[in-house]
Amino acid sequence: MAEEGQVIGCHTVEVWKEHFTKAAESKKLAVVDFTASWCGPCRFIAPILADVAKKMPHVVFLKVDVDELRAVSKEYEVEAMPTFIFFKEGKIVDKVVGAKKDELLMSIDKHAAKVASA
Amino acid sequence: MAATGFEGFEKRLELRFYGDDPLATTTQYSSSPLGLRQILDFDSLVQVLNAVQCTVVSAVGNRYFDAYVLSESSLFVYPTKIIIKTCGTTQLLKSIRPLIQLATSSHDQDLSLCALRYTRGSFIFPESQPSPHTSFADEVDYINRHLPPSLRRRKAAVMPSNLTSHSWHVFTATTDQAPHLIGPGLESFYTVEVCMTELDRAQARNFFQPPGKGRNGDVAGKEMTKLTGISEINPGSIICDFGFDPCGYSMNGIDQERYSTIHVTPEDGYSYASFECVGSAFDDDVDDLVEVLRKVVRVFGPGVVSVSTTGATREVWAQLGRAMEGMKRRSFAVDEFPAAGTVVFQTFTAGRRK
Repeated sequence: MAEEGQVIGCHTVEVWKEHFTKAAESKKLAVVDFTASWCGPCRFIAPILADVAKKMPHVVFLKVDVDELRAVSKEYEVEAMPTFIFFKEGKIVDKVVGAKKDELLMSIDKHAAKVASA
Repeated sequence: MAATGFEGFEKRLELRFYGDDPLATTTQYSSSPLGLRQILDFDSLVQVLNAVQCTVVSAVGNRYFDAYVLSESSLFVYPTKIIIKTCGTTQLLKSIRPLIQLATSSHDQDLSLCALRYTRGSFIFPESQPSPHTSFADEVDYINRHLPPSLRRRKAAVMPSNLTSHSWHVFTATTDQAPHLIGPGLESFYTVEVCMTELDRAQARNFFQPPGKGRNGDVAGKEMTKLTGISEINPGSIICDFGFDPCGYSMNGIDQERYSTIHVTPEDGYSYASFECVGSAFDDDVDDLVEVLRKVVRVFGPGVVSVSTTGATREVWAQLGRAMEGMKRRSFAVDEFPAAGTVVFQTFTAGRRK
C-alpha cells in the first residue's frame, strides 16, 4: 500500500476520521503527531519520525496540524507541540509531549511490539 | 579544585525586537503574531547554533514560545524575544550578528532590534575561555562593535559580592524610543538567575549515570528529573529534559508564557547548577517563587548560591532569602541598567562553609 512507511498528513476532518477509523479497525498501532507549521521543535523531530515510519510499515503514522484541525487538537487537549498520541483500536495507550527522540522511539517500540504478539 | 574541568557557569544573551506590522501573521492556535518563531525557522536556528558550537537535543513549544534544550544549555524563542544560555567554552557572542541579520531581514515582517542584555557569573576556569570571552572587557568590546548604532544607551558593570568566585557581569543596550511591541506583554516579566556551586556530593551523584550503562538522552534525563525531585518544583509545567553521559543534566520547563531551566555540572571540584525562571509582578505570588527556590536549593544542597533578579521589585528580591534554608546572606548589590531596569545581586553561603 502506498501509504505505508510514510507519515500521512490529515488536512481535513474527513480525511482524519477516515485514517483514524481505518487504523482502529486494523488493530495497528497509530501514532499521531500533533504539529504546527510555525513550531521549530516540530521541525526538529520531523525527519526522525519520517525515518521511523519508513522502518515500521506495520505502524500507522498520521500528522495533524493544530491550526488546520483545531477541534481535533482541542478534543485531545494538545497544549504543547509536538505531541505524539498513541492509539490502539481507537483508544489512547500512550502520549509523548515534546520532541524527545529517545522517549518517542522507546514508546513506538513498546506499543508496536504488542501488535505482533496479538 | 581541579586544574581544569567543564565550565558550568553560563553566558546568557537576550535580544528583544519590536515590530509595527498590523498584518503580522497570527494563527488560530498561537493567538498572537508569530514574529521570530516564524522568521527564525528551524534550519536558520541550526546555522546560528553551529556558529556557537552547540546543537539541539530536545525541544517543545506551546502557543507562546519554543524551548530548546541544547548540547550546552538552552534556547527560548518568543515572537519578539530570543534568549540563549550556553555553558562550557561556547562562543555565545558570535550569535549576535547572525541573529540580528536573520531577524531583521525578513520580507514578510518588519522587526528591529530594540534591546540586548548579556549576563554571566564568574567563570571557574577563566583561562579556558576562548575569545571574545577572555575577559568581561573583551566581551563588552565585542558586543559594542557588533551592535547597530541605534542601540545608543549602553551600560556595562560588574556587580560584586565578597566572594571572588561569585560576581555578576551585566551589559545592556537599548534604543532611545519606547518600542511598540507585538505579542503579549512579556516585558512585565522579571527574570531570576540562580547560580549554585559546591553542590552536596551525595545529591550531585544523582546526575551521574551508571558506569558503562550510560547513554545521552531524554529518557536518561527523565529518570534524573524524577529521582532528584525536580519534577516536583513546578508540577504544572511540561518538562523537556536530557541526561548526559557520563554525567550532567539539562532541563527546560514550560508553563504558559513562562519558562524555567536547570543545568547541572555535577563533578566534584567544580560542581555547579543553575536555575532560571521568570515571574510576573502582577500575576504571580512571591510566596510561590520562594517555594520554588526553596525546592531548588533542596535538590542541590549548594555551599554557595548567588541570585540575580532583573526587573523585579523590592517585594520580590527582598523575600528570596527565605528560600535559602540553612544559609546566610553574605552580600547585596543593586544597580540600574538601560531597558533591563533594576538588577539586584545577592549571595548566600551554607552554614557548613567557613
